[in-house]
Amino acid sequence: MKKLPAGVPWIAPAVGLLLALSIYPLIYSIKVSFTSEAGGFTAAHYARLFQDRLFAVACWQTAEYLTVALVVEFGLGLSLALLVDSLGRGRGVFRAGLLAPMLLPPVVAAVIWRLIYNPQFGVLNGTLRAAGIPAQRLTWTSGESSAMFSVLLVDIWEWTPFLFLLLSAGLQAIPQEPYEAAKIDGASQWQVFRDITLPLLKPTIVLALLLRAMDLARIFDQIFILTQGGPGFATETVSLYIYRTAFRFFNFGYAAAMSFVALALTTIFARALLRGMRAGSAR
Amino acid sequence: MKSAWRYGLAALALLVALAPIYWLVTISLKKEIDQFAYPPSWWSFTPTFEHYGDAFRVRSFGRFLLNSSLVAAGSTLLALGTPAAYALARFRWPGAWGSKIGFWILSTRMLPPIVTIVPLFLMMREARLLNSLTGLGLVYTAFNLPFVIWMMRGFFEEIPPELEEAAMLDGESRAGALFHVVLPLAQPGLAATAIFCSIVAWNEFLFALILTQTEAATTLPVGIASRVTQYEIQWGAMSAAGVVAMVPVLVFAAVVQKYLVRGLSLGAVKG
Repeated sequence: MKKLPAGVPWIAPAVGLLLALSIYPLIYSIKVSFTSEAGGFTAAHYARLFQDRLFAVACWQTAEYLTVALVVEFGLGLSLALLVDSLGRGRGVFRAGLLAPMLLPPVVAAVIWRLIYNPQFGVLNGTLRAAGIPAQRLTWTSGESSAMFSVLLVDIWEWTPFLFLLLSAGLQAIPQEPYEAAKIDGASQWQVFRDITLPLLKPTIVLALLLRAMDLARIFDQIFILTQGGPGFATETVSLYIYRTAFRFFNFGYAAAMSFVALALTTIFARALLRGMRAGSAR
Repeated sequence: MKSAWRYGLAALALLVALAPIYWLVTISLKKEIDQFAYPPSWWSFTPTFEHYGDAFRVRSFGRFLLNSSLVAAGSTLLALGTPAAYALARFRWPGAWGSKIGFWILSTRMLPPIVTIVPLFLMMREARLLNSLTGLGLVYTAFNLPFVIWMMRGFFEEIPPELEEAAMLDGESRAGALFHVVLPLAQPGLAATAIFCSIVAWNEFLFALILTQTEAATTLPVGIASRVTQYEIQWGAMSAAGVVAMVPVLVFAAVVQKYLVRGLSLGAVKG
């Protein structure tokens, strides 16, 4: 018999736990998604997906949320990283302070904004009114047309720091020599940014966008606390819809089927994003 | 841009980042009449600690705090991940198995929680581990494991292997060399990894929401969330509990600031 590699007993406990609590549930979930309520085999859950308009809306809204949040957070995060990087004294203070929102428990971040957004007693409408702006009718998260915007604003507040942190670290890792050479050649600030900073920052940008996008695709905590997906269906996302299907309506089979489709969509999206960014950097 | 402008802009960004957090703290310290005052007052009020006493002594937040601490500490056991990380960093694996196993482990971390939550709920129900801190702690341990392995593998790779080889020539076993030579050198990394794991467990919401439904097993985030949706206007207790939930995370994060980028790239802080 061939001898096992010496490392096997060292990794066995960890691999065992992962198989039990991560891989087995995945397989179990496939079984659940093909099980009817009576307990027999059925593909009805997957068939139902294609007729469920609410699922389509939830998918669409998740994509919308993801795209807007990613673009704004990246733009702001990169600008802030460049800005703070260009400061002299006190850089460390800004860097540490700007990270705070991301470190809070997401539930606490959402609670803060519940307090701020409250149309009657919240500090936001209170401050606007005190400044002479008629804010009584601004409903923020409780208005159907403003809810999505308000929820996105919280996301941007909370997670721009994440992109800021990763991009800041990337900027600090860029060597100084090309900048000195560009200075001697008399390059403009924009040229330096386009031809030196951006290409050298590319790997960090790809990593940061990918990590943030994967997190956004599963967005749950903040929306659950801010709006529960409402008012109506205005802020419903895939994760919330699956949660409701499984744990409010106890339709585990359908929830499992949806979660697989969501997983497939996320994987395809992540790969497309990666490929797109690779193609962009090859140019 | 002139330097003064740049400082001004950065200060504005800092204000936007911190003002909401400051506002939560003031609400938790205000008497009810000040909480709802118009125009809102940012500093001129008489602080009171009554909401803290109310939340943690009268309401159940004391219990939730204890539960959160227990789960965070319990799921931070690094005992499973550290040997695996060491083996992946140092042992010779046939073919490319070392990196294949490493990537497989990392990929389990990429699974969205919503995909495994339904089967985990059903499994825990069958095992009678719903509403138990043990069940929740087990789930968090598995959830943190890929992170521990990747973090610790990186730290081990930074230590020159000659040190253990010398110890092993002196008659130490592999495990002995790990314990007596490598782990003491990896101590800062070990501490940072432990802190990240406890922050993840402390902050986690979705698994806790679904796997615990009794007050005896509720964690702080779920406790806070349930008060938000039930009684909209209990601002005092809610914000006091929010402050207590956020302070340890901010303190711990300051301790591991040096490792924050590495930790976050591997998915710490938020699941």
